[in-house]
Amino acid sequence: MSAPEKIDLYKLHKDEYVAPKSPKLVKTRKSRYLAVTGRGAPGGDEFVALVGALYAVAYTIKMTRKFAGKGDYVICKLEGRYWADGESGSEAIAPTDDLRWKLFIRTPDVVTGADLRGAVSKLIEKGKDESVREVELMSIPAGRCMQMLHVGPYEKEEETLTAMREAIERETLTASGPHHEIYLSDPRRVPPERLRTILRIPVR
Amino acid sequence: MKTVTLQDYKARVLKVLVFIQRNLDADLSLERLARVANFSPYHFHRVFSGMVGESVHAHIRRIRLERAADRLRRGSQAITAIAFDAGYDSHEAFTRAFRAMTGLPPSEYRTRRAISTRGNDSTGIHYESGGAPKDFHPSLTGGDAMKVTITQLEPRRVAFMRHVGPYQDCGPVWEALCMQLGSRGLLGPGVTYIGLSYDDPDVAPPDKLRYDACVTVDDDFVPKGDIGVQTISGGVFAVTTHQGPYEKLNETYARLLGEWLPRSGRTLHDGPCREIYLNDPEGTEPEELLTDIYVRLVPAGGDNT
Repeated sequence: MSAPEKIDLYKLHKDEYVAPKSPKLVKTRKSRYLAVTGRGAPGGDEFVALVGALYAVAYTIKMTRKFAGKGDYVICKLEGRYWADGESGSEAIAPTDDLRWKLFIRTPDVVTGADLRGAVSKLIEKGKDESVREVELMSIPAGRCMQMLHVGPYEKEEETLTAMREAIERETLTASGPHHEIYLSDPRRVPPERLRTILRIPVR
Repeated sequence: MKTVTLQDYKARVLKVLVFIQRNLDADLSLERLARVANFSPYHFHRVFSGMVGESVHAHIRRIRLERAADRLRRGSQAITAIAFDAGYDSHEAFTRAFRAMTGLPPSEYRTRRAISTRGNDSTGIHYESGGAPKDFHPSLTGGDAMKVTITQLEPRRVAFMRHVGPYQDCGPVWEALCMQLGSRGLLGPGVTYIGLSYDDPDVAPPDKLRYDACVTVDDDFVPKGDIGVQTISGGVFAVTTHQGPYEKLNETYARLLGEWLPRSGRTLHDGPCREIYLNDPEGTEPEELLTDIYVRLVPAGGDNT
């Protein structure tokens, strides 16, 4: 199902997604995302509704642009950041009702606010849930991060994050924000022990 | 309701094997063989190749070659006549096929009478001069047991586009369907991507294979342009998950219909095979692709209907 001119951001920026089984320092470019922000346990009602809204908007924008002859691209994997109120550290946080998160999908820079508004009104018109209005465009500035592949259940991420923080210390760097996860596997289909997740901690 | 057992399936396939050996010079069309076994022509070939471990075509070809070998050993008939009876128009083609099976050209084979007439086969079905096979061992590919569940599906209303041609070329139809539905705000979570394949790619010519790319839609969906709308039937289905590239779906079909079905106590219902695509082939490595394969069954007593 692939045409040659289709943009695949992960393949295009392979160097940003190098994820070995030990921590590695990686440079990332400025990047654009479709994003939703929420609160509560992952897998809870709000979480599920907003992931659904995010994907509905992502596919509607992609297909609308393609239909209009504005080029095609691959929908990237889901990514996320989690933090608790008042915290900005990189530590893994117990999933509680107070947990805050941002979920996002990397999107080519050509996607505009007008594309987003068009998709949202189309979805509302088709009777989709109002939560599609929560989807926004955001950018992450260029930077550096410590990166590593985590294989196994999400609950065990702390072990991987610990190894990454030790590496940050060895390099005499400082974590500069909440850690970032890129979900390579579909948790509905892949058993927990085989889940593959890229973990990032931004550093300066 | 009476349970269909492995023995029943075996008996029906054995009837076909006997019929083939008794009618090696006749037209052995799939429709005719399916009738002999009382299978629907739609699923017959996959059940046969799953149980026998080779396609109907390959099986007939091998048994005809084994008969040729037997005749070379026993008689003094001209090689060209033997070749013709085995279904070969030319001496060269026959020699090539014969050598592939026995390792020797026919003329040399004739002078070494002690060599077996038998081709490679794990199920123990061979040409029996003057008789017919009395039994065989249904093939098993080994490896992990198949995980198959029985499930009840409701009828679904779908928007669809028809593709005619090799199944692996159905990509452009999916592209067009998803682009048109997506630009109308009709894609997203809750939408199911379904493929209906109407023909067995091991049987029908590649350019005649019929396939519908389907996406579930609501009742208020209005078809436009190339896109049609249909309601696909519900019923009781056996479902198994295929992991890997779409090109290998056929291997999972063969196991489902050839290994699982005959041991399941179930009978197939007619109708196209159904595939539900669980991940996006654009952003997924071929080895990670997951597809649920559904075949419809005749309802049985224990089903939750």
